[in-house]
Amino acid sequence: MTVHRSDRPLLEIQDLRTHFFTQDGTVKAVDGVSYEIGDGKTVGVVGESGCGKSITALSVMRLIEQPGRIVGGSVLLRGRDLLRVDDAEMRDIRGNQISMIFQEPMTSLNPVYTCGDQISEAVSLHEAVGRRQAWERAVEMLQLVGIPDPARRAKQYPHELSGGMRQRVMIAMALSTNPELLIADEPTTALDVTIQAQILELMKSLRERNRMAIMLITHDLGVIAEMADDVVVMYAGQVVEQSDADTVFAKPHHPYTTGLLASIPRLGEKRQRLEVIQGVVPNPLNLPKGCLFKRRCPHAMPVCDTPPPLQEIARGHLSRCWLTPAGEPPAVGPEATGELAEAAASALQAPA
Amino acid sequence: MESTQLGQIPAKATTGAGQGAVDEVDLTPVRTYWQLARQRFMQHSLAVVGLIVMAILVTLALVVPTITGSLYAKTSLSLANHPPSLLNPFAPLGYDSIGMNVFIRLVKALQTSLFVGFSAVSIIVVVGITVGAIAGYVGGAVDNLLMRLVDVVLSLPSFFLIVMMVALFGTGNAIVVIVAIGIVGWTTAARLVRAEFLSLRETDFVQAARALGAGDRRIIVRHMLPAAMAPVVVAATLGIADSVVVEATLSFLSFGISPPEASLGNMLTNAQEFFYRQPILILYPGLTLILVVLAASFMGDGLRDALDPRQRVRK
Repeated sequence: MTVHRSDRPLLEIQDLRTHFFTQDGTVKAVDGVSYEIGDGKTVGVVGESGCGKSITALSVMRLIEQPGRIVGGSVLLRGRDLLRVDDAEMRDIRGNQISMIFQEPMTSLNPVYTCGDQISEAVSLHEAVGRRQAWERAVEMLQLVGIPDPARRAKQYPHELSGGMRQRVMIAMALSTNPELLIADEPTTALDVTIQAQILELMKSLRERNRMAIMLITHDLGVIAEMADDVVVMYAGQVVEQSDADTVFAKPHHPYTTGLLASIPRLGEKRQRLEVIQGVVPNPLNLPKGCLFKRRCPHAMPVCDTPPPLQEIARGHLSRCWLTPAGEPPAVGPEATGELAEAAASALQAPA
Repeated sequence: MESTQLGQIPAKATTGAGQGAVDEVDLTPVRTYWQLARQRFMQHSLAVVGLIVMAILVTLALVVPTITGSLYAKTSLSLANHPPSLLNPFAPLGYDSIGMNVFIRLVKALQTSLFVGFSAVSIIVVVGITVGAIAGYVGGAVDNLLMRLVDVVLSLPSFFLIVMMVALFGTGNAIVVIVAIGIVGWTTAARLVRAEFLSLRETDFVQAARALGAGDRRIIVRHMLPAAMAPVVVAATLGIADSVVVEATLSFLSFGISPPEASLGNMLTNAQEFFYRQPILILYPGLTLILVVLAASFMGDGLRDALDPRQRVRK
């Protein structure tokens, strides 16, 4: 496959909006999310359950099912808007340019086919190869993902393999067509810790080998620290902070990110109680006015009733919070708030 | 911890350093799906008995009428009411009241019944899978429409519907009987397939197939149907038994296959007329019917256990 290098990033998500039209009302699962993934880069997307990180990924793949619908924005893959290509083209892109691996290796493989069959199928969906060639590729892929005795394993059914092995098979399947972007939706959540480390190692080495980009969705900041170049923190369907990984860990700005980092237990540290973020994620059917995080935020202030824009607080570091770049409360007073609101409006209109 | 290096395969049966027990090579031979299924089927002794009985019946039904040709309808008054005798290999079951060879006629009747049974089930399976798969996969209004159609068909008294269709389109015609049974009988299969599809549609592996770029038809045929087949196979096997019984009932009531063609049902009617003189004549078609039904039911049970890939072989 030819890889077109250009100035544009591999994937640009722009103002993506995916809403679910339920009987109780509209859930704005993804509401104006923008971020990009450069060639060969790993972007970690973090956030609590239900913050919209998986829905963003599924929207990129156009795998949103009823009652969900992508209502706005664009997803540009090398400049081509995936939301506007027809179904056949999209099928061709899935698994070929963008592959996806899922959280549950136990159920993501079809129980009635052997592992080899399933990888061969992935290959033959996108390349005109014969059965035997496809099978050989499958065995090769199994070897690549570190499965011992791949020729024999290829003939086995998923239930004959352990969770870690199955996730390796999933990765083999996803990578069998050399995608430029791998979307990994919580790839290690269902695995135990030692296997997690193995799978992350594997993904790292395959990333170097194939020079592919990874969208890594997780709620595990440890995984992010291990893998990611850039980090996108999501909360209630919005990006609240975005930066390179080092900055996020060293100088988090948004109180939500700070809270997430504080709630990681650390080895060798004596603490009576683990820090937690107070409260719960707001009901998506009844989001608060203004900042979505204000009810749980230790820094909540009057200005938070106006929705804060996602603004650059340092080079390459975006945060959706009214706190000043230094983390101070902004100058208070009605005029100041008005100015800030204007700034917000212009920031929202300005092209990214 | 050792991570797996690219392209480097750990040697067979390593001590598993770093890899843990997970990646250790298991040296038991790989068994394929069909080997496993056969093994499970064979452990089900009733199913094996059912299979053997069915195999014998099918062989008889295929071989004997081919050799004897039209003899099953030949009457010979001089041989009328000849008693059964094992000494006569040509007519071990004797002759009936109009001098027809009971054994040859019985096997011909068996052939008719099995033909009707298998054909009707084929219609049931094809229609049922198609309707069920579409309803379950597409969902929404299509699903609603198709399932209401199923409700309508189910709410009609099926046997009378069959009788009516046969009466309208020609009594005594096996094809009409088959189509009638098929038209009435597909609903259960459709419901089973739909139910399976509804849950399969949400499974991760279907989602994964979609993420790999598989199209709708491929997902339905390759990924969902095989997983939905187990209940259909069971229903189909039991459906053979049902269809055979329905055909026999129809023929017994003179709506189905009528003499001189032979069917288990019309042999029963015939035998009933001569019940006082030759009561044993009722036994032959009756027992054959029971054998067919039991064999099919036992096979259905065995297949259900065998075809479920999630079940492991019991030791």
